[in-house]
Amino acid sequence: MTEYSRMAKGHYTVSGGSIGVSAPNAKVINLPFQPDYVEFINYTEASAGTDDAVPFAWWDKDMGQGFAVIQRSSGSGAMVSDVVEANGISSFSAGLALQFGARQQVVGATAANPIVFNVTAHGYSSGDVVMFQGLYQTQFTAGMPQIDGMMFTITVTDADHFSIPWNGNQSNYTALSASPTGAYVKKVLYPYLYFPGVAIISAITLNTPTGYTTVDTTSAHNFVVGQEVAFRIPPNWGTIELNSLPNNVVPGSPIYGYVVSVTDYNTFVVNIDSSSYTAFNSNQTVASVPGGDFPQVVAVGDVNTGGVQLSAGSQLYPPPQYRPIGNVLVNTINGPAIQGAFVNNTRQGFVIGVGFAKGDTTAFLGGAANDVIYWRAFSHDMNVV
Amino acid sequence: MEDLILRDYIVSAASQINAGNGTNGDNPTNLGVNDFSLVATSLDTNNAYKFMSGIEGMDRFGTGPVRSAYFMLSSTELQTDFDALAGSSPGGFLSQWNYPTNASALPSEYGSVFNIRILTSSEAPVARAASDMGNDIYYNTVLGKQAITHINQDGFSMNLIYRDPYYSGMLAQNATLAVKFAQAQAITQDTAIRNLLSTSAFILAV
Repeated sequence: MTEYSRMAKGHYTVSGGSIGVSAPNAKVINLPFQPDYVEFINYTEASAGTDDAVPFAWWDKDMGQGFAVIQRSSGSGAMVSDVVEANGISSFSAGLALQFGARQQVVGATAANPIVFNVTAHGYSSGDVVMFQGLYQTQFTAGMPQIDGMMFTITVTDADHFSIPWNGNQSNYTALSASPTGAYVKKVLYPYLYFPGVAIISAITLNTPTGYTTVDTTSAHNFVVGQEVAFRIPPNWGTIELNSLPNNVVPGSPIYGYVVSVTDYNTFVVNIDSSSYTAFNSNQTVASVPGGDFPQVVAVGDVNTGGVQLSAGSQLYPPPQYRPIGNVLVNTINGPAIQGAFVNNTRQGFVIGVGFAKGDTTAFLGGAANDVIYWRAFSHDMNVV
Repeated sequence: MEDLILRDYIVSAASQINAGNGTNGDNPTNLGVNDFSLVATSLDTNNAYKFMSGIEGMDRFGTGPVRSAYFMLSSTELQTDFDALAGSSPGGFLSQWNYPTNASALPSEYGSVFNIRILTSSEAPVARAASDMGNDIYYNTVLGKQAITHINQDGFSMNLIYRDPYYSGMLAQNATLAVKFAQAQAITQDTAIRNLLSTSAFILAV
């Protein structure tokens, strides 16, 4: 082995997915280098030999991003050689913001709460963040372009559908159908490079619980208890009393709130008594779209920290974590840090995706829930072609 | 590299205003002169400090006085849009070349509109094909003086590391070139910074 090559190994337990039925969640492995070769063994499935399982896989970057060569079980105990041609194994370097995946045509969307989108073979995973554009059923008069440009965390329903946390069951929203011209969605590749960041507000529930305010966001807010936050609510969205300035009580003094509880990735409670405030209104008109502003919440404060109480069994210095969906906490590669402070989450490594075998579309690369996968990753000195 | 990190940090952490006074019908729209005025008014209301004092008018052909101003960091790809604002009434764009004196102008300064002086860079943040109509979205960061800080950690300002290939092996084939730094960024006053998002009214020639 020459001096600049890098090697790493590890293992993890798969979350989500069922053999022959559904794909597991994509697995992101952060490394101090970008591998050009990855291989893994699914020990659980190699032992069980279940039909449609993928016990072995290999990937070289020269195959292309998202490809893989696999061995899958055929059900009779025999192994079959096959390949994955999309959403297989890929490397990544998450260093720069504002990078997007390929745009995909939106086939349709329900005017419901939550809005469910139909995008043929979208290839996304729950917890991915997407952005829409051109969501008009009739150009410039009807549809749901009010949500264009916002970042949304999605929950995948099936291979062709996913939902977003937004109430489309309102008078100014019209369902989309028949693949409207110009209606696209694309994935935000690295949504949490720096967090906590700007979060778009999808709903504000006043005086809930009593004396407090509950806030929902379109993607992960990544706030922690004790975090100081500020609001930017444009006038047509209603609850302008939350805005930092102007402060009618103490002119020139910004109004801030503290997060008192975090319900999940996109819901938190602040210690602002909103009982007399104007109701939040997300029922924006299509006509308001050109130049329209979005309601936002941002982390603020001289000491921007929430802190984490130490308790029995806790790590003394846990790394900063982000919360992409539900209450799943993902460690960053950083060392000890104050929880709630701004975190640089730039990173690189590889992803085991949600793809399936070319010869058997129910043989998913990443295994099933609770499978144990052992992986090795390499970055070679030389690539001779 | 340090600048790119600070740039992306601000994109992620500072609040945003969509330009709405342009004429291209997109969201955000292209920049209109009133977008500059609205952002400057917002920062004034929030008691942000301006970076530059004004430049008094002089008896020189083609020049005009420059107001005290905040800085806006923009993409070079928007320079055509700024030029198109020249002569807009009232105010409009004033090229840096039309300042009464260039003594206080920075090398990257393109000009000014109302209370905002514009610095351009090819490394300014752009979200490609991300607007309502699928156009590029430009992040124009408008700053008050007290908005952000950038802290180099003790003893870790940027180091350029170069190791000659002579030391890497007997065939002396591989050199090492790298930079190393430790820094922290912070928004010290969130009410004194805004990302003014806009599209362009023009298609860039390449």
